[in-house]
Amino acid sequence: MRLGTARVAVVALLAVLVACQGGSASASDTAFVKGALIGTAPPNNNAGEWLYPGRDYANSRYSTLAQITPDNAKNLKVSWTFSTGVLRGHEGQPLVVDKTMYIITPYPNVAYALDLTKPGFPLKWKYRPENAQAAVGIACCDVVNRGASFADGKLVYNLLDGHTVAVDAATGTEMWKTKMGDVNRGETITMAPIVVKGKVIVGSSGGEMGVRGWIAALDLTTGKQLWRSYNVGPDSDMKVGPRFKPFYPQDRGANLGISSWPGDSWKVGGAVVWGWLSYDPELNLIYHGTSNPGPWNGNQRPGDNKWSAAIIARDADTGEMIWAFQPTPHDIWDYDAVNENILVNLPMGGAMRKVLVHFDRNGFAYTMDRATGEVLLAKPFVPMNWSSGVDLATGRPTVNVDKATAQGKNVKDICPSLEGGKNQQPAAFSPKTGLFYVPTNNLCMDFEGREVTYIAGTPYIGGNAPEKGGPGGYKGEFIAWDAVKGRKIWGIQEPFPVWSGALATAGNVVFYGTLDGWLKAVDARNGAVLYQFKVGSGIVGAPMTYTGPDGKQYVAVYAGIGGDMGLLIAGDVAANLPYDVRERGTTLPDLARYTSWGGMLFVFSL
Amino acid sequence: MRILKSFAVLPVFIVLGATAHQLASATQARQGRGQTRAGAGNQPTYFVEHPDHIQPGLPRTMRFAALTNPYEGNAQRIAEGAKLFIAYNCMDCHGADGSGAMGPSLQDNRWHFGGTAGDIFQSIAEGRPEGMPSWGGRIADDQIWRLVAYVGTLSKGHAVTTENFTGKTVARTGH
Repeated sequence: MRLGTARVAVVALLAVLVACQGGSASASDTAFVKGALIGTAPPNNNAGEWLYPGRDYANSRYSTLAQITPDNAKNLKVSWTFSTGVLRGHEGQPLVVDKTMYIITPYPNVAYALDLTKPGFPLKWKYRPENAQAAVGIACCDVVNRGASFADGKLVYNLLDGHTVAVDAATGTEMWKTKMGDVNRGETITMAPIVVKGKVIVGSSGGEMGVRGWIAALDLTTGKQLWRSYNVGPDSDMKVGPRFKPFYPQDRGANLGISSWPGDSWKVGGAVVWGWLSYDPELNLIYHGTSNPGPWNGNQRPGDNKWSAAIIARDADTGEMIWAFQPTPHDIWDYDAVNENILVNLPMGGAMRKVLVHFDRNGFAYTMDRATGEVLLAKPFVPMNWSSGVDLATGRPTVNVDKATAQGKNVKDICPSLEGGKNQQPAAFSPKTGLFYVPTNNLCMDFEGREVTYIAGTPYIGGNAPEKGGPGGYKGEFIAWDAVKGRKIWGIQEPFPVWSGALATAGNVVFYGTLDGWLKAVDARNGAVLYQFKVGSGIVGAPMTYTGPDGKQYVAVYAGIGGDMGLLIAGDVAANLPYDVRERGTTLPDLARYTSWGGMLFVFSL
Repeated sequence: MRILKSFAVLPVFIVLGATAHQLASATQARQGRGQTRAGAGNQPTYFVEHPDHIQPGLPRTMRFAALTNPYEGNAQRIAEGAKLFIAYNCMDCHGADGSGAMGPSLQDNRWHFGGTAGDIFQSIAEGRPEGMPSWGGRIADDQIWRLVAYVGTLSKGHAVTTENFTGKTVARTGH
């Protein structure tokens, strides 16, 4: 199954071309970032296990396992598979703890515990939660679930219908179930919680439904809510107090969560927390993004719309907002800032800094001081034209007025599209190369704003945004990124957006999947494709790795197209119109030729 | 089944320039519906009926399926239905021209809950278990009939049985 020979040659050629351009990155070792570290060592995490969505609190998706190397990766093969019994988008990743693999399916969010010590990996248990069917039609972007966290013998995850559950990892018994979101208001939950010091941190989806976004902490033992902070509204609701010290002057002041919105529009202003969470134990800060403001039509909400489309640092114990920053103030392109924040220490300007690296939907990669919220560097990581750059004095993007959307105006060819330069697909970081491995989209859009009325439980969007391929003739690229200098080191162009997460390993092999269903192992140093295998359905989940009871390194990934980018395939959608909000038929007209629905775990080994 | 908590009927009427005449006709339509139900006799063709709607031991109710749309083929009412489709945010769920998005396509001639005028009326009026809101009592019956008339036009002439990928042009009309 080695169809990749030609592509390897192309990648090698690209690497040479890139290397030949004066001043740009080279593929040699000198391009690597020496001294880069994952922010804080993973908590209670054995090398062969995977307890948290991003493996560690830093969201690095890096494993120290090193049996699979660039030299032997060509010998990878499918070791075993497991059907989840559910079609639809399989985002997220399995967990492996104590010789048991835990799998969470898309709606209806079944949990499986597979015994890795026995032949055929029989189930230890299966948990089928009650989960309101109405949630299916309320979820904007397929009925995905991004996985669970393991802590204190419990598996903790969210249900699409707005509940958080804790299941006894030994028996599958439901320990507690807490209603966190209201489906009747359009709130669903798709994100993966993390557990910090006995608290389960949770947010919701619904940025397209006029939801008022929040993040909350539940007691891991009882499921009781300990705190809930909103991301819009009065300071008291947002837990903005004396400790709130945003880096930039325009972000300071009282009740900005009201004054940066007209009238009461903040009450339906979005800013939900549906992405990945990070935590720095030394600073005791949780980092989360917030979604687009509602509605997409910016004419209905003049102002910065704080704190939508923002990166926010909060005290893990109290939920207090410590700093906040908007990559896209007054977002009029649906550029959520929910993408993950990866916590690493990098040599910036000669000195080691505690930074977070964030690949925003808006197409800029941000390297920020994670203690203060200062933007140290912001560079485009995908083709873009909506902004000419970020002013480091203010942190604000310089908007190209030709690409500013407005009600009743059809603005053509805005890049990136509303799916962003990157979306839910999480990047990985390797301290061995000091590089970030980033799955990206190369899409553009036309955008026509339209007045919309808020009706609870229905979409609150107000815009049509048909998408198309970006410049260059490819629609996605898997790139290696130097966050110290803000430059791409290498890239593998793909015919479709790369909607899968990335996995980095100490063996210097990086893994990702493609929308048309290829699991790829590539050389972390130069992007050479070492191995690829066509799985049964498009990959929108994130590969993970673990050590089996036999001592071997395994790599596991879901095959199951869906999510926003796979909605055409996964959903019940016709595809012959060029101007649909969620149209995929014209964006990815060929995708259905290469893949169809699925719901399968694939596990690889040497 | 979901109940919408708050509703903005009035602004929508303003958007559409609705008049007292329309409100009056809504009342007429509601009365008309009752008469049609009473006179139901023909058997509708169902594609799928959700198990929630099947009551063991009781005869199935056909009252909605037997209804006929007073605006069937009425170009003006269909155009008004198209505006309502946007004003009530149907479009943001079902896609532009009903091509499908969060909610199912209305273009592909595949009906989860039946495709007769009465079935579609019931879907809008009572909602459906996978997230379709119930609009009955929230908007006037004659507005629902306008929506039914419009929705009925979206799949006309669309066939989705075969997708042939072997030609030079990708022929796609459905999933």
